[in-house]
Amino acid sequence: MKRSELTVFAVEEEGFKLKIKRGPDGVPVVTGSHIPAKPAAAEAPAPAAAPSPGTPAASPAGPEEEPGIGFIKSPMVGTFYRASSPESKPFVDTGVKVQENTVVCIIEAMKIMNEIQAETKGTIIEILVESGQPVEYGQRLFKIKQG
Amino acid sequence: MIQKILIANRGEIALRIVRACRELGIKTLAVYSEADVQSLHVQLADEAICIGGPHSADSYLRADRIISAAEIGDVDAIHPGYGFLSENAKFAEQCESCNVKFIGPKSNSIKMMGDKAVAKDTVRKAGVPIVPGSDGPIDSETEAVKVARKIGYPVIIKAVAGGGGRGMRIAHNDVSFAKEFHVARGEAEKAFGNGQVYIEKYIEKPRHIEFQILADSHGHIVHLGERDCSVQRRHQKLIEESPSPFLTADLRKKMGKAAIRAATAAEYENAGTIEFLVDAKGHFYFIEMNTRIQVEHPVTEEVTGIDLIKQQIRVANGEKLDFDQGDVKFEKHAIECRINAEDPARGFAPSPGTIGLYYSPGGHGVRVDSHAYSGYTIPPYYDSMIGKLICFGSTRKVALERAYRALSEYLIRGIKTTIPLHKAIMADPIFIEGKATTSYMEEFLSRTPPDLFS
Repeated sequence: MKRSELTVFAVEEEGFKLKIKRGPDGVPVVTGSHIPAKPAAAEAPAPAAAPSPGTPAASPAGPEEEPGIGFIKSPMVGTFYRASSPESKPFVDTGVKVQENTVVCIIEAMKIMNEIQAETKGTIIEILVESGQPVEYGQRLFKIKQG
Repeated sequence: MIQKILIANRGEIALRIVRACRELGIKTLAVYSEADVQSLHVQLADEAICIGGPHSADSYLRADRIISAAEIGDVDAIHPGYGFLSENAKFAEQCESCNVKFIGPKSNSIKMMGDKAVAKDTVRKAGVPIVPGSDGPIDSETEAVKVARKIGYPVIIKAVAGGGGRGMRIAHNDVSFAKEFHVARGEAEKAFGNGQVYIEKYIEKPRHIEFQILADSHGHIVHLGERDCSVQRRHQKLIEESPSPFLTADLRKKMGKAAIRAATAAEYENAGTIEFLVDAKGHFYFIEMNTRIQVEHPVTEEVTGIDLIKQQIRVANGEKLDFDQGDVKFEKHAIECRINAEDPARGFAPSPGTIGLYYSPGGHGVRVDSHAYSGYTIPPYYDSMIGKLICFGSTRKVALERAYRALSEYLIRGIKTTIPLHKAIMADPIFIEGKATTSYMEEFLSRTPPDLFS
């Protein structure tokens, strides 16, 4: 994006949506729905310039940083579950206040159910993944209003 | 049938594996650290999963996360590349117990050959000459001095859990031995978590000549010739070539047979390398076995025409080797230069950063295995090798002239690289005459002004 004159770039394909817009200080700002299993790789065999920024995980290049907003990210690779079993209630929901040691979800890795703690204080404002979805390291799980 | 492979590595070897898989119609899953988001192989793989932070200990060495990724990615096999977990017997075992095929030897072979003292003992029993030395690790200094005197100075003190040229000290007499013995143990403990050392005769100005082995799971083992890797700096290889300018046909035959005996003793499957030291009189000694694919495998590929990564996958699939020893022909001479992001004019200081212009050479007999591209930022967390230039031709003369020509065309702007160093070596009379031993690099650097490398 840097070398072009583009200010907005948007792409939409089945199961994937990406929008990049040049932010106020020239730094590209990316929003998009994230699919951990399929990166939107450019098909060019040998890129002459840097590969397209909208690739693999949305976690390293993420949505705009709003003040007071944070994310609970996955500390491991595995499968995300909102509750400890299909019959149980989800650990948290939107609007719920959490402390650092509140269990917010389970990530199952190699048959072990790991309870994931919030590690921050705040209110859940958005749940970014679905039960049963595979997640990678650093992937954003919950959007949280800090404090 | 392997239909999907997880690549547990990064950089040029990960790219190499992606390419082989694509040609075989096998799906690829790249696991990567946060520092490798823009890596070429991550872009080209069918799927990619982030497994951790930039430091290897938090990503590429996290066996648990890699296996977890293998599960959610539903892969049939894992290719470990070289370095990282490729020679980690525990990781190979974990793959075995999770029903994911580890593309390499059985964990037992890795364990056997991973302990350098056990490895020596195993091959010795198979009639493979080894460097005279202690029969296993020595813990007491008094014992160690006795052994050193028995072998005869100079001796080399090596870490049992070492490898890749690390954890080694040389002593020329009783006095320096005492000091080096303790230093070696301390360094080994720090680097490998195991302070045990063993002692060997130090062979002066040897050539480092290794044999490529390929074995299937049905008991067939062949060797694919040797690679002469004598041009090394601090035990890190810089240039590898095949055939070795030193070996006669007779010595090649003897060493090839010894290599197969060693691999048989290790109950080996898949690709591996037997390393020997060869002295000026043609006596050869086993030093270690590398139970993985190696950096310099393309040299053998260009000489024999055999695709080693595809063969690794075939073997992992349970297929028999579709050729025997008699079918292996050495048709070309090939030479590889490892291109590192280092400044040879400044003591090889690492030179990470962003590559501005990248233009790689081409033409007849030129192969480039590199994950670099214009605009790529080399992360500072990993080794400095950014690519390999392999040049080959019908004779050694053609290969060398071609390498010189290709290095002259190779443009990597924005960082310092070892390209000028390699060019200087290609033009050096001692190297051209095929006289380089493992002491060559030090000698070459001492007589060459550093500004020749900028």
